[in-house]
Amino acid sequence: MSLFSPITLLFTGLPARADKFLLGISTVALIRIAGRTLLFDTGPYAYRPILQMRLKRLGIDPGEIDTVVLSHVHWDTAANADLFPNADIVLHESELAYAEAPDTHDADTPGYIGRALRRLRLRPVAGEQDIAPGVRILELPGHSPGSIGALVGNALLAGDAVTCAGDAAADDIRSQRSYDGRARQSLSKALTLADIIYPGHDRPFRVGPPIAYLDDYAIRIRFFTDPAGPDEEIQVGSFAAKSFASWP
Amino acid sequence: MKIDLLIPGLPAKTDHFLFGICSLLLLRAAGRTILFDTGPFRIRPLLIEALKAHGLAPKDVDTVFLTHLHWDHVENLDLFAHAEILTPRAEFEYAASPRPNDWGTPPYVHEILQGMQVTLLPDEEQELFPGVRTLLLPGHSIGLQGLVIDTGEERAVLASDALWSARDAVRGVPDVAFFDSAKAQVSLDSALGAGDIFYPGHDRPFRFQDGLTTYLAQYRYQLSFPFQPYGQELDVEISTERSANTAAPR
Repeated sequence: MSLFSPITLLFTGLPARADKFLLGISTVALIRIAGRTLLFDTGPYAYRPILQMRLKRLGIDPGEIDTVVLSHVHWDTAANADLFPNADIVLHESELAYAEAPDTHDADTPGYIGRALRRLRLRPVAGEQDIAPGVRILELPGHSPGSIGALVGNALLAGDAVTCAGDAAADDIRSQRSYDGRARQSLSKALTLADIIYPGHDRPFRVGPPIAYLDDYAIRIRFFTDPAGPDEEIQVGSFAAKSFASWP
Repeated sequence: MKIDLLIPGLPAKTDHFLFGICSLLLLRAAGRTILFDTGPFRIRPLLIEALKAHGLAPKDVDTVFLTHLHWDHVENLDLFAHAEILTPRAEFEYAASPRPNDWGTPPYVHEILQGMQVTLLPDEEQELFPGVRTLLLPGHSIGLQGLVIDTGEERAVLASDALWSARDAVRGVPDVAFFDSAKAQVSLDSALGAGDIFYPGHDRPFRFQDGLTTYLAQYRYQLSFPFQPYGQELDVEISTERSANTAAPR
């Protein structure tokens, strides 16, 4: 990534899974361009204090965010949109319509998300358009009824239209639970229009071929099984994977 | 009066997100099927599975007892839109406008509860159902309430986050005194004095006697971290069974 990239990752998404619960480790990115400050996605509620801390570390007051783009309104992308008092919330009008009355069997969209979002200054969009100089909204439906992405130069913040690099390599939506058949075309469209992709649940990568990651990651997990004893710590990260012969 | 552990709380933390997996319990009292807290969104599939294992669907839960209105206790409320929701009045009123630095309480809790039948619990202890008493445990949040349940043989204290984990009992100090630390200390002391077995907010149930804790449940979760597109996967376990082979202090 260029030193002067307008995109700063606040949370690196990961295609991690747990056997019994949802992890929802989604991408959250800041776009600083032409005097504007935009946030792309807001993560699950479980990000909230960490998101606030990371913004603070960058010297950004929540009031400075002028636009929040919601790629879609799943539990792990839209839960913190209320943190930004001066922001317009950009989402697709068909996503907003769906948020008002999600399917009862929808396992990813909270039934109340529409009511929660209605409290905010919403700016529903339809069609493709620039929402800031050099920031173009692309329609990428299928993962959800109104999924969108944001094209910034040659880089695409793709939301879950591109869930992970593995799907890009396979040119198939094998890792996502999609809402309808358009998800497959949206993946292809994303890969055609951008050189660099920030996926919804993976590190940014160059489309290639070959596909090449542009960033590392590391996560530490602590827990305890003996209340009188110390924490156990698990470290997971690409530094660990580098020992594998298959690492590119 | 029966207490079933649907999901044990998980005392795990990461530097990337909060787990928020709190203890979810199923209570049968006075002919009611009562869910104790609803958990964070991430355990939604597990909650549905756990209810199913008891022969129940979400629609069969007729009462939800919400200890407090933090995100990790309310995110699955929409599964129980038909149920009577019991929650402290102090919590409900506060949630209309949480303190700016209170990241625990979603400012949209009232929107989550909109259209539901909500019964507000007064700021005094009461017998809610035969053998089920409320316990005022403020401090972690503004008006958290737990339950003391007399099973006939012993008293179980359902303390939620007033007793975050068994460490609070061992150390005698509340780990997550989020709202008011002085009140949280008083509440921890009164919770620990109120019974024989304890259901913490984010840990397994345990018996507490003579300063020693004995856990009453196990859990085992497996997490997979893929290194796509060409790499392998790393599998890690968060499991109570780990303690046997990784007990050595770091």
